[in-house]
Amino acid sequence: MSAYYDENELDDNVPLSGSLLHKLGGVIKPHWRTLLGGVLGIALVAVADAVFTYLHKEILDTAIIAGNKTVLWKLFEYYIALVVIQSIAVFLFVYFIGLQGERIRYDLRKKLFDHLQRLSLSYFSKTPLGWIMSRVTSDTEKMGDLLTWGIVDSTWASVNILFASIFMFIINWRLAILVVLSLPVMLFVAIKFRKRIYYHYRLSRKANSKMTASMNENITGVRVVKALRREEKNLENFKVLSSDMFNSSYRAAFLSALFLPTIQTISAFSLAMVLWQGGIMVENSFITIGGLQAFISYIMMILWPVQDLARVYAEMQNAVASSERVFSLLETIPSITDFPDTVEITSLLGDVDFQNVSFHYEDDEPVIRDLSFHVPQGNTVALVGPTGGGKTTIVNLLCRFYEPSEGVILVNGQDYQDFKLKDIQSRIGVVLQTPHLFSGTILENIRYGRLDATDAQIEEVAKLSGAHEFITSFEHGYQQDVGEGGNLLSVGQKQLISIARALLANPDIFVMDEATSSVDTLTEALIQKGMHQLMEGRTSFIIAHRLSTIKHADQIMVINAGRIEEQGTHETLMRVKGHYYNLYTHQFRQELETRLDPFNSKNNEDSRRN
Amino acid sequence: MAQKAHTYPPCDMQCVISSKPLISLWHLISGFHWQYFGATFFAGTAALARTGVNLFLGYFIDQILIKRQYGTKLIEAALIFAALIAGQAFSSFMSGKLAAQTGEGSTRRLRDYLFNHIQRLSFAYHSEAKTGDLLERATSDVDTLRRFFSDQAIGIGRITLIFIINLTAIYRINPRLAGISVVIVPVILVVSLLFFKQLSKSYASYQEQEAVLTTNLQENLSGVRVVKAFARQGYEIDKFEGNNAEKLRRGEKLNMMHALFWPISDLICAAQQITSSFIAALMAIDGVITVGNFIAFAGLLGWLIWPVRNLGRLIVDTSRALVSFKRITNILKVPEENLFIASCQPENGVKGDISFDHVSFEYEKNHPVLQDVNFSCKAGQVVALLGSTGSGKTSLVKLLPRFYDVTSGRILLDGVNLNEYSRDFLRSQIGIVEQEPFLFSASIRDNITYGMKHEVSQAKVEEVARDAAIHDVVESFTNGYDTLVGERGVTLSGGQKQRVAIARALLINPRILILDDSTSSVDMETEVQIRAALENLMKDRTTFIIAHRIQSIMDADLILVFDQGRIIQSGTHAELLSQPGAYQEIYEIQTRIDNALQEEIDNVSLL
Repeated sequence: MSAYYDENELDDNVPLSGSLLHKLGGVIKPHWRTLLGGVLGIALVAVADAVFTYLHKEILDTAIIAGNKTVLWKLFEYYIALVVIQSIAVFLFVYFIGLQGERIRYDLRKKLFDHLQRLSLSYFSKTPLGWIMSRVTSDTEKMGDLLTWGIVDSTWASVNILFASIFMFIINWRLAILVVLSLPVMLFVAIKFRKRIYYHYRLSRKANSKMTASMNENITGVRVVKALRREEKNLENFKVLSSDMFNSSYRAAFLSALFLPTIQTISAFSLAMVLWQGGIMVENSFITIGGLQAFISYIMMILWPVQDLARVYAEMQNAVASSERVFSLLETIPSITDFPDTVEITSLLGDVDFQNVSFHYEDDEPVIRDLSFHVPQGNTVALVGPTGGGKTTIVNLLCRFYEPSEGVILVNGQDYQDFKLKDIQSRIGVVLQTPHLFSGTILENIRYGRLDATDAQIEEVAKLSGAHEFITSFEHGYQQDVGEGGNLLSVGQKQLISIARALLANPDIFVMDEATSSVDTLTEALIQKGMHQLMEGRTSFIIAHRLSTIKHADQIMVINAGRIEEQGTHETLMRVKGHYYNLYTHQFRQELETRLDPFNSKNNEDSRRN
Repeated sequence: MAQKAHTYPPCDMQCVISSKPLISLWHLISGFHWQYFGATFFAGTAALARTGVNLFLGYFIDQILIKRQYGTKLIEAALIFAALIAGQAFSSFMSGKLAAQTGEGSTRRLRDYLFNHIQRLSFAYHSEAKTGDLLERATSDVDTLRRFFSDQAIGIGRITLIFIINLTAIYRINPRLAGISVVIVPVILVVSLLFFKQLSKSYASYQEQEAVLTTNLQENLSGVRVVKAFARQGYEIDKFEGNNAEKLRRGEKLNMMHALFWPISDLICAAQQITSSFIAALMAIDGVITVGNFIAFAGLLGWLIWPVRNLGRLIVDTSRALVSFKRITNILKVPEENLFIASCQPENGVKGDISFDHVSFEYEKNHPVLQDVNFSCKAGQVVALLGSTGSGKTSLVKLLPRFYDVTSGRILLDGVNLNEYSRDFLRSQIGIVEQEPFLFSASIRDNITYGMKHEVSQAKVEEVARDAAIHDVVESFTNGYDTLVGERGVTLSGGQKQRVAIARALLINPRILILDDSTSSVDMETEVQIRAALENLMKDRTTFIIAHRIQSIMDADLILVFDQGRIIQSGTHAELLSQPGAYQEIYEIQTRIDNALQEEIDNVSLL
């Protein structure tokens, strides 16, 4: 069961439309063989079930009551053959349908993942991660179930009911009508029941996730709970949540316990009728004893296909909703794609120009207004300013994660939207504020910068970035596992690997969002060194927080409220005694305090893990 | 049928902890014992009713149809038949309902208990324990137990009863038949046990791969900027493909196991059924048993054999449930912090005179964190603590609310030993503002009033928010004080969180304050505001401040310099400045910084 769960799932009431059926058909189409095998298998099983009961009738009438042992032998031979056939059929259907289920889910996951790679950054900024995860994990499960067990179970149930009815009609049509009339009633009651049960079950899942979240928070924040003496109150609040869960969970269980017995009781009426009327017919020789017994068997067993049909129907709504969600994700168009007439480029070396660039997200306020600047090739630009002022957006625009709403961005005199996305993005090296690593080894993570790099080349950039020392201090060196998201390494170590990765990519333009979290002085120095390697001779854009970075930049731009408030070199800006001056002096003091560490408050942070 | 919220029969968890496993389980459902007996009883009556249906059918055929006793007998028979079936239905329902009551009710009680128990475990326990592990025990292990009581335990009982009752009925029809019919049962049991055990393992491997795939996906999505920045979409697709294909492979293997087990066990059961039926049929032809007996026997046989298959699964599930139970009892055994034991409870709160008298403290044996600490301060004074990480200053402040107790020596509050006050009382007198405050997923208002045991007016909340310099920020949010914070709401910046924590502390109005004045990672404007808020907070309160700024220290009434658990210097700023030592060095660095900055500015002006 997937851990990712969308709360709004409960409210979905999606009808099965024609176009949806068509799309679902498209998903099954490549697997028509397994579908056929599975459906045939299950149909055979259902037919065999019905035939068994009839065979039993024959055994009773023609062998036992008639006292004929020869016939008995023959009938039992059929019996054995039927058992073998049914077993093979069971194997076939379980095998094929199970296979189909796994393969359909595999297909869907693959399609979704590949499609996600094409979507633009804007999609990911506005869509919660859990939502997407739920589509790829939980919704594909449900779709798989719908297209396999949904089909199989309804086939089994329908064929079973059909053949049982046929046999019953063959034996005695009057009694058969009696039974068949009660079927719709049973089905109706069963469906209503199952829907209620399912509803409460999903309520309880929702309550469960709320409860788990509360428990989680209480454990994570237990120190605050204790310090503020919240134990009693929190327990009270929790009890409400656990009550909710109990109520819906118990309700679902209660209804489940009531469900089959109710259907059984309804069938008891049919049975009583059949026994009575059937007894009279035996009296008048309209039906044999075996026939009556067969009828009774059929009725008692019809319970199962009826409740199966009800279950499939009740769960179908939800599965259909899941399918809609999956298809809608697959049909989302990436907002940034290559334009039709792209120009081939082999490098991004050249001057960078922003000309009257404006940008806003969706229908929001403009984040950047009429921005223009010129950066000669090889220059380092430092972007500073308050949070939310627009620095990150400028960098996002440069990397073409977003495109300008107005204005144009030029590289080497040409509109960068003329180039292929891949050409741009593979030539811009990026180091983010919070470094993101993937599970795997250190080697694999650095290699991400250039997949065909040799181990020697990787070691070289590791030395340049200053990562080599700490890497070799690990037991497995470059083969050391970094953990999920890199959580086995400290922040400083992740930064150094991030820099090595960017170095390996050997980009034409370098973009960096400097980290604000402090690391110890030694790692700090290494990071500085690595950054200088990257900035050497490359056009660089740094969202800067470290004074040395800012001070030595060729150009400094103070970005505030989407505009360039101040622009120039360190010296010119200091003399202005404006925003930059304040920023610089404040930070100077802070940095020196951290570096000289008068209170010794940050000793060897990097020797500890996160 | 819906139980009243928050009320349920009590359960003495001590019994649960101290007995042997099976008896413990029994204690766990105390208050539901009658329901459980009831569930088992009704499982028995359901089995009896079902067997009765089969036997009655046989009787009906022999005594009525064959002997041609028609007429009213038919109607009677029909009614009896219907009644038996209805009886079976009713019994099944009751059994299921009572089992569900037991399972759901007892585990709900357990959940509430665990929640409370965990939050009352000591600080020492929590600093060692892993959140994920605790959470799993309190949620998924409890859920495993729920399913055990609702389904599995009853299921085993039910199948056993069905088996015994049906076998007895068959025996009464013909002992030889009974003997022949059970031959296969041990075989089925063993086969199904083996299968389900193996299935467990394969399923675990399947789930493992599922976790790998989920992690792969999650990293890809959260690292989307890196993927795009290095244009690694193709690589990521290949990587995912590898994991995806592996999951498919494991799923196919799992499926094959199922595909083989069910038909093979079908064949085994069917072989038994065919053999017994054949022999019974011969007996019926030869007159050893009646036709009706044969019909009854055919029905009974089915119920004898097929349910045994499920027994294997239930047994395997039970062993898993026992594992979960063990994990839960391991937590239950850990003792809680006692909050209320006190021999001293001043009515009007404390003044705030504190003294440390030869205090030593260690978390683990022979690793002292504080050694022979001595100092005292008066109510309302500011004590600044200085020293490197691990020097003991953080541990010292943890002793004040009795998160930990001293190993030797004593701490006096208003002249009374700290241990004589209850923890609950102490914590009501002490306010704490941490470096990285923890806020709960709740409204800002709820977070500010978090420490209050009674209702607080909006005016009061706004007053403390103003003093904490956060009111304007809150008003700028669309929902104001009702704005949700946390995962489902807005994410506050570090500086904003600190100010909410300050408001929270102000509202409690404590006599004693513990502060960490670090304001790293905030911008200049915010830092000024936080300083002002902290100053408001420190007025008239005995304050222990873990200092990172020279300014806060300079104004302190008492400065304590720590090194390796000992106080190496103590006094006011003026006193310490005149002594050679660590403090002088610290202050000197500060002057150096000031000079360096001035130099920097001058340099620029000269150009």
